[in-house]
Amino acid sequence: MKLRRRYIRNIRQNLSFYTASTVLTMAALFLFFLFHIAGNAILDFADEFFEKQKLEDAHFTTYIPISESDIEDMEEEYGVTLEAQSYINIDTDGTTARIFQKTREVDLYDVTKGEDADEKGEVILSEGYAVNMDISTGDQIRIGEEDYTVTGFFQRPDYLYMLENEDDSYKNISTFFLAYMSEEDFAELGEPNCQYLVRYSGDNDRYSGNDEKAFRKAVNEKYHMHSYTSAEENQRIVMVRSQAEMFLIMSWMLLCILPLVAVALICIIISRKVKTEQQMIGTLSAMGYTRTQLARHYAGFAAIPGIIGGVLTSVVTAVAAQPYGELGLTDYEPMRISCSLSWYAAVLGIVIPTVMYVLAALLSVRRLLRQNTVLLLNGSGDEGRRKLRRVLAGRKLSFRIKFAVRSLIGSPARSFVVFLGVFLGSFIMLTGFSIYDSARHTADTVQTSAGEYEYQYVLGELLYENPYGGELLLAAPVEDEKGDTLTVMGTDNEQSLLNLTDKEGQKISTKDGYYITSLAAYLCRWENGDRVTLYNPQSLEQIHIRISGIVENDTAQIIYTSRANAAEMTGVDKNAGNMIISEEKLDIPENIVESESRKSDLEEQVDTIIDQTSYMIDTMVGLGIVICIASVYVAVNMLVSENRRNISMLKVLGYQDRKIGRIVLGSNHVFLPLGILLSIPVAYAFCGLFFRMFADMMGMLVSPYLELESCILAAVLTAGSYLASMYFVQRKTRKVDAAECLKEQRE
Amino acid sequence: MFICLKDAVKKYGEGEAAVYALDHADLVIGKGEICVILGPSGSGKSTMLNMLGGLDTLDAGDLTIEGRSLIGLTPKERTLYRKEEAGFVFQFYNLIPDLTVEENIEVVSDISESPLDLSEVLGALELEPYRRRFPRELSGGQQQRAAIARAMIKNPKLLLCDELTGALDTRSSKNVLQFVEKMNRQYGTTVVIITHNEAIAKMADQIIWIRDGRVEKSVFNEKKIPAEELEL
Repeated sequence: MKLRRRYIRNIRQNLSFYTASTVLTMAALFLFFLFHIAGNAILDFADEFFEKQKLEDAHFTTYIPISESDIEDMEEEYGVTLEAQSYINIDTDGTTARIFQKTREVDLYDVTKGEDADEKGEVILSEGYAVNMDISTGDQIRIGEEDYTVTGFFQRPDYLYMLENEDDSYKNISTFFLAYMSEEDFAELGEPNCQYLVRYSGDNDRYSGNDEKAFRKAVNEKYHMHSYTSAEENQRIVMVRSQAEMFLIMSWMLLCILPLVAVALICIIISRKVKTEQQMIGTLSAMGYTRTQLARHYAGFAAIPGIIGGVLTSVVTAVAAQPYGELGLTDYEPMRISCSLSWYAAVLGIVIPTVMYVLAALLSVRRLLRQNTVLLLNGSGDEGRRKLRRVLAGRKLSFRIKFAVRSLIGSPARSFVVFLGVFLGSFIMLTGFSIYDSARHTADTVQTSAGEYEYQYVLGELLYENPYGGELLLAAPVEDEKGDTLTVMGTDNEQSLLNLTDKEGQKISTKDGYYITSLAAYLCRWENGDRVTLYNPQSLEQIHIRISGIVENDTAQIIYTSRANAAEMTGVDKNAGNMIISEEKLDIPENIVESESRKSDLEEQVDTIIDQTSYMIDTMVGLGIVICIASVYVAVNMLVSENRRNISMLKVLGYQDRKIGRIVLGSNHVFLPLGILLSIPVAYAFCGLFFRMFADMMGMLVSPYLELESCILAAVLTAGSYLASMYFVQRKTRKVDAAECLKEQRE
Repeated sequence: MFICLKDAVKKYGEGEAAVYALDHADLVIGKGEICVILGPSGSGKSTMLNMLGGLDTLDAGDLTIEGRSLIGLTPKERTLYRKEEAGFVFQFYNLIPDLTVEENIEVVSDISESPLDLSEVLGALELEPYRRRFPRELSGGQQQRAAIARAMIKNPKLLLCDELTGALDTRSSKNVLQFVEKMNRQYGTTVVIITHNEAIAKMADQIIWIRDGRVEKSVFNEKKIPAEELEL
């Protein structure tokens, strides 16, 4: 059809519209693509790597060692794969090396660079540390009193997120690393520690799901379980999947918000554009063009931004996916993820927006063609709306006010696009800022909610008396019915440094009850008065407790109770304790301290989270600016196109360009404060929802928070984007030729 | 008779606000005639043209074109009628701005079953030199000739012209009318022109005056003169 020739010419003539629509389409799809690709790439990598390297299902320690023959017997009896792993921690100039003895069946390491350490004097290091410390193969490294030659780097499936201690909150690749060396060298290091690695399934056909509990009970009965950590509770393992899941959830959230809104926005614009063509549609209809032919023709126009945007997004994504995906993994061992755009995602990326734009155009054409052709020829196809344009008729108001009001309510869809552009731009930026502010605010408030102590010492043995000072507590893990771990913390001190208070700020006494933190209440869905069942992770004995109250603490899943209750739950003497908290640093012998932490460490944890998300926040701010500029530009450009005759008339009447700009464009300024103001509570609520969704993964329930400075910055950036769009459109009003437009004036 | 309109009623609005655009109007036009319909603004001229062109439907009465009734046609059938039998020329040309003259004409020939030869029509309307120009590059008269060419390419039985000289100067108007006359002669097309301009009526075979939706007077023009001699 000859009509098709209009497509290319129309693109040339309306280049700005098509560019802005394409940019909006790209902005909307790009982030979805990137997060989706990165999430799936990590999951694919994890699935393959975990399987190939035979990731543990759990690891545990016992008071009585399990002999080689007992291990074989237990494997036979319970259908599991069990392997003892020896390791030793060696401190050298403030850096801890954890040297493992090589295993054959569980948690196998993968040499990612160089050669394995087979000979005496050779060592291989965890890759993240080596990269961070700029260590190359062939370098010498001192561990303890010996120097070793680094022959390669490796990754281990249970150490992709490098936590020195299991209860640490953030990685350490500057003063902690893993190493393997020859059996001979390992034997010379000294007396090693031993832990047992177990795989319940995958390797042994005889395993049935019920054997896990029986196995754990048997280990506890025979060898007295000291600690037990399942893979689901091991943050070094969980963090990898959590990161991938966070990317995927982010991608779907973005898909729900950005593309839908951007697509809705473009659909509105396309509908408006079709309406501006109503005289042309009327003319073609008068010439005998059928509805189907007209619908097909206008669908072609609508498909252009969808196809171009989709294709460009696919191309850009294909190029950017790998570096962008890797950006999100800076805190992990250098995982060899492969981020690539699948063909079906690329096709969907092109098809979905295109179909939606085409549908918008078809609906618009269909609605117009329901009108009488004569009305279309007269440009009165949307007569219903025109009634809105007559408001304030007869009122004694200046024509500028009337013009502005009619312009706004006479074209509600166009006004909505301007509003949505401002709102969306500001909302996206504020969401980014709010994530940052909330994390910062949490770091400040969490120290208060965590209690009045500064130092926390987890002891490697039970104390029955406390000669070191501070407050002795009993802390032990318990499992809920889903297998998630909570900490039971027992204290008898009425003036405990834990400073337990409820929501109303009232002091809580642990004497006769069980108090859970607000985070535990949220994640376990427990309420005050509930009777809940817990399990001792070593013996798997059931423990029933009734919740007496909720302690305000959104950063840890803890059950506070008396020492006696805690002892009963964990099966130790009622006078025993294994944790000391204090306001001052205590002099406790190193050999009984398993880990020492400061409350201020939480701030570092928050810094880590902020670092991890900073590139995401930067992207969101950039995206907000792009969406704001593009949508405001398209909408206001539309306003100028639709007002060409008014503009030319005002020129004829002697109005200056600046005044004309103010009259025609000024009415939209009202949407700037409106959009920004509305975006503040919406972004706040959105962040609250976001943090609740990720509370489990982050291990804390972050309260949404927005600093005044952030609101001001978002407002300034949004206003800047808005004014930039207005500046570009204002130039268009100058180009409108008075005489030429008036020639088109109808009778 | 080619066109027969009987007791035609077209009403807009309801109750006291109702306006009768056609109020029991009757009209007969012979095949191959040029008919000029005159009347003041709001008299119902455009409504009548819309009825003849199948753009709108009557509330009551009957309308036949070459013996075929347009009453009761579905929108699809009316589209088919417009596609094959009626050509429109509008006051403001309504050319598609981003298509050249030639392409604007082809927009119609594309959907027509037996279109005339493009070069022939372009030649007849002396548009050959402008065939690759866009509407904005043409004068008003040239644009209106292009609009006539677009209407004529499908060789319609009926050419409906709505104030076709309303936006043109005297010289261009006369020129355009000459071409309309030429089309009528060359292809035997029945032409209906609605206008305010009584001077145009002199080139018509039949002149009809409309007022308040009724046909006030209908006369056959004994002293028909060629468009070239019109004093506009």
